[in-house]
Amino acid sequence: MVKISVLQHAPSSHIALRPGDPAPTSRNLDPLMHPFARARERTRALNAAKMDRIFAKPFVDSLEGHIDAVEVLCRKPESLTTVASGSWDGGVILHNLTHRSQLARIQGAHKGKVSGLCFTSGDRLLSCGVDRNVKLWDVGSGDPNVGSSDHTPLNVFPSKSAFNSIDHHRSDPLFATASNLVQIWDETKSAPISNLTFPTSTETITAVRFNLSESSVLASIGSDRTFTLYDIRTGKAERRVVMQMRSNALSWSPTFPTSLLLASEDHNLYTFDIRKLAVPTQIYKAHVAAVMSCDWSPTGLEFVSGGWDRTVRIWKEGQGTGPEVYHTKRMQRVSSSIFSADARFVLSGSDDGNVRIWKSRASEKLGIITARERAAMEYRDSLKERWKMDAQVGKISRNRHLPKPVHQASKLKRTMLEARRVKEERRRKHTRAGETKPKAERKSVVLAEQT
Amino acid sequence: MDSLIAQADAIRPLAKRRKLSGDIPHRRTKNAQPSTTDDTLNSVVKHTSLPKSLRVTESLPENVPKHTHIANPKLRSELIRQSAHAAQSKALLKDAELLLTEDAGKIEVEGEMEKTWRVGQDEIARSAGQEAAKGRREWKLDGGPYKSRYSRNGRHLAVVGKTGHVATFDWQAGTLHAELQLQETCRDITFFQDQSHFAVAQKKYVYIYDRDGVELHCLKAHIEPTRLEFLPYHWLLASVGNGGYLKYQDTSTGQLLVEHRTKFGACNTMAQNRHNAVIHLGHQNGTVTLWTPNLPHPAVQLLAHLGPVVSVSIDQSTGGRFMSTTGQDGTVKVWDCRNWKGAVREWSARGGGGEVEWSAKGSLAVATGGSVNIYTAPTVHQAFTPKMPPPLYITHPIPHRPLTSLRFCPFQDILTIGHSAGLSSVLVPGSGEPNFDSAEADPFETKKARREREVKGLLEKIQPDMISLDPEFVGSLAPPSKLTSGSTDTPFARLPRLERLRTQGKADETEIANDSPDEDHSGKKQDREAREKRKMRGKGKSMKRYLRKQRKNVIDPTAVWISLPIYTLL
Repeated sequence: MVKISVLQHAPSSHIALRPGDPAPTSRNLDPLMHPFARARERTRALNAAKMDRIFAKPFVDSLEGHIDAVEVLCRKPESLTTVASGSWDGGVILHNLTHRSQLARIQGAHKGKVSGLCFTSGDRLLSCGVDRNVKLWDVGSGDPNVGSSDHTPLNVFPSKSAFNSIDHHRSDPLFATASNLVQIWDETKSAPISNLTFPTSTETITAVRFNLSESSVLASIGSDRTFTLYDIRTGKAERRVVMQMRSNALSWSPTFPTSLLLASEDHNLYTFDIRKLAVPTQIYKAHVAAVMSCDWSPTGLEFVSGGWDRTVRIWKEGQGTGPEVYHTKRMQRVSSSIFSADARFVLSGSDDGNVRIWKSRASEKLGIITARERAAMEYRDSLKERWKMDAQVGKISRNRHLPKPVHQASKLKRTMLEARRVKEERRRKHTRAGETKPKAERKSVVLAEQT
Repeated sequence: MDSLIAQADAIRPLAKRRKLSGDIPHRRTKNAQPSTTDDTLNSVVKHTSLPKSLRVTESLPENVPKHTHIANPKLRSELIRQSAHAAQSKALLKDAELLLTEDAGKIEVEGEMEKTWRVGQDEIARSAGQEAAKGRREWKLDGGPYKSRYSRNGRHLAVVGKTGHVATFDWQAGTLHAELQLQETCRDITFFQDQSHFAVAQKKYVYIYDRDGVELHCLKAHIEPTRLEFLPYHWLLASVGNGGYLKYQDTSTGQLLVEHRTKFGACNTMAQNRHNAVIHLGHQNGTVTLWTPNLPHPAVQLLAHLGPVVSVSIDQSTGGRFMSTTGQDGTVKVWDCRNWKGAVREWSARGGGGEVEWSAKGSLAVATGGSVNIYTAPTVHQAFTPKMPPPLYITHPIPHRPLTSLRFCPFQDILTIGHSAGLSSVLVPGSGEPNFDSAEADPFETKKARREREVKGLLEKIQPDMISLDPEFVGSLAPPSKLTSGSTDTPFARLPRLERLRTQGKADETEIANDSPDEDHSGKKQDREAREKRKMRGKGKSMKRYLRKQRKNVIDPTAVWISLPIYTLL
């Protein structure tokens, strides 16, 4: 007896039962059913890389209002929308990022430039300036007419020297200021409660920041090419590191508490692990002029830096080259840059007096995204990641347009570094210097570590 | 981690720093658990914690390589993550077999005495299901021998008669899309990416029609075409004609991509390999040539038959590994495309060679004289020296000679035979792939799905210069560079990474095979040969060199002859 069965498909299981239903799909993962799977995936990756560049429109908006260059930006902790900016004209503006409106505007908060801003508990703002005062403002009234000139501070903390920076303690009502020494203030007292300084230091402190997790530790950078770590529990400077060039800004990582980021005058950024200060953990090279500001993303995986070369760059932690670079024709030297609290946006304040809002991922779509759309985006991202070694895909996703002066400067810089390298190689080849192994660049950053 | 910032006097002075700080992590034994009393961690953890969505919940799957020989912890953890991901997806792939719900058809016999080839089409059609029995059909048509072609999802059929009768229809629903009487010789027909367009090889040129039979284009570059093939993933229409030119037309951009002169005269036989998009041509002098758009000469040229080649087909079921050819000399041959040294098996067909075609599951249909014989997978592929046909699976006689085309219907157990009196479809249980993938080709697709597939297909179009014999070269590693190692001129900083590691003694040599002595040996030998050659250059004493090479203990008569003085020979 012969048994015969012939293949047949039941149409009922492959056709939608009712008109609105999605058509049923069937899958067969046998590789023979999917010829050219790899080549097609590469094409998809290429398209994903191209689409990423097509949709890369990072500029969102610019917030106007300052008459002079924006010196400092500061975001309100535990708020996604509120950001304060201080300018060289002595004005302070409180911005709302969603409505792009001004919540409060304090004209002439200081004589001369506003050099530091930080929020304290309960909608109050501390500002310091070169007029040797720290002022405490109440900005929580929600009244946009704060901008009238008769707006008076809640409190004024006078000092003998001009302030360069201010930062608030994470939890306690303490704040630290930087002038020619680091001073710790209590919000309720009019005189500093302690002065911190490194014993042999005669420097000007340019910035000071509290650690976010180990909240009694703070770091400062000075004009004598050093950065210093203090502990307010012991009330003294613990460690000082002398580097090749001075730093312009510093920032503590929010997720890696021992990680400290420095923006240096020598065009580079450095991350240090404070448990091992002799060697930076990573050097970040791409700027072609001094880096003026830096700030970590709240995720601790990225950070933003703004430079004298009129660009804003967004770096991945631990990846020392190839950052995302933002620029516009009208943006001048970037003196301050911060991440927004949701890590989706970056703010930059520049010499032209504008605060600009950028997307932190240039091609991200703003607005509501459906689940299907999000899945497609994630698939495209993973394709780009997977095929980044492919010459064409990698080139498209790496390439960034730079303004001509920046491009020329980077070319010149590359030539100079190449010449220096060749000279060093020849020197090593023909002198006794060649008998030892070359010193890694990372190891020659720190000149001295002092206690 | 030693607790520098946890205590009040956290940052210790340099001199008092404990020596252990650097050493402990490196010397830690494999079994040691990370200490639970990490002061820094305890101090910091209440301020910094990963959100739950980012925390690792699953443990690593088993048998994941630990990459312990990699010293760099960053790289090691990345490699471990990658291999764990690969292992997970492999395990998931195993589960995906549950998705295959349909069963392949088959004929089972009991005992030795029953033969499957005794089972006729009537019996098969009787015992097949109602839906499947629809596949057994006879189309009685006038207008010469017919050729047919199925669309990629197997739903639509295009037929063309020698005298110009063209029809495309959905054979399952029985709806006719287009019927044309072209009033001139038509030699071949092919669908494009789906049923919405088709091309006909007519007397002088190739014409493109849309679904309703409206003529869209006349491709005047394709002169006197005999065969057409459409490469669906590259969107290329390939044609070959009486002039012996193989022409590729890009159907997405409309440009004639390339034309290759085969130099073998008129060509009547063409087939494509679906897995690497290589075109196989069979010629009048018995050669089979394999073509890609980016090579001006055949990638492979093979003398397959002693007479003209009648038909070529490539097996899809093994990823394009087997090719079968029939010749006018009456033989059928099965070739292994990885190794062209002789046919895997060959036999002579009784009525002279005819058309040949592989099914998706590896059944081989051979049209010989007045019947179609079908052989099945494992025996057709096995090497067998005697020139005997493999055991016959099914045979079906057709009284209308000649049999001009054989086409298996995708995702069905149906073979459509074109002959002089029309077409007949026969049931071949077990020849079709039972489970289709909707993302590739769906017999039940809706109008919207067809449109979406068309757009997706255009976006994923593969560039024609990526066609090669090995489709897996895309994304594979580049061949190793020719950069010689160990030259002293290159400074340390400019050496490649592996060389730098090697000079430092840190290179990981675990994966480099130890066949170095062999290489050394041959290298030395080559050196000597090269030196000898160089030494003699320009001297003009080739006889001397020849004699030295002959100088051995073996008495070679030619050497003796040459070295003897002439007078001794007189």
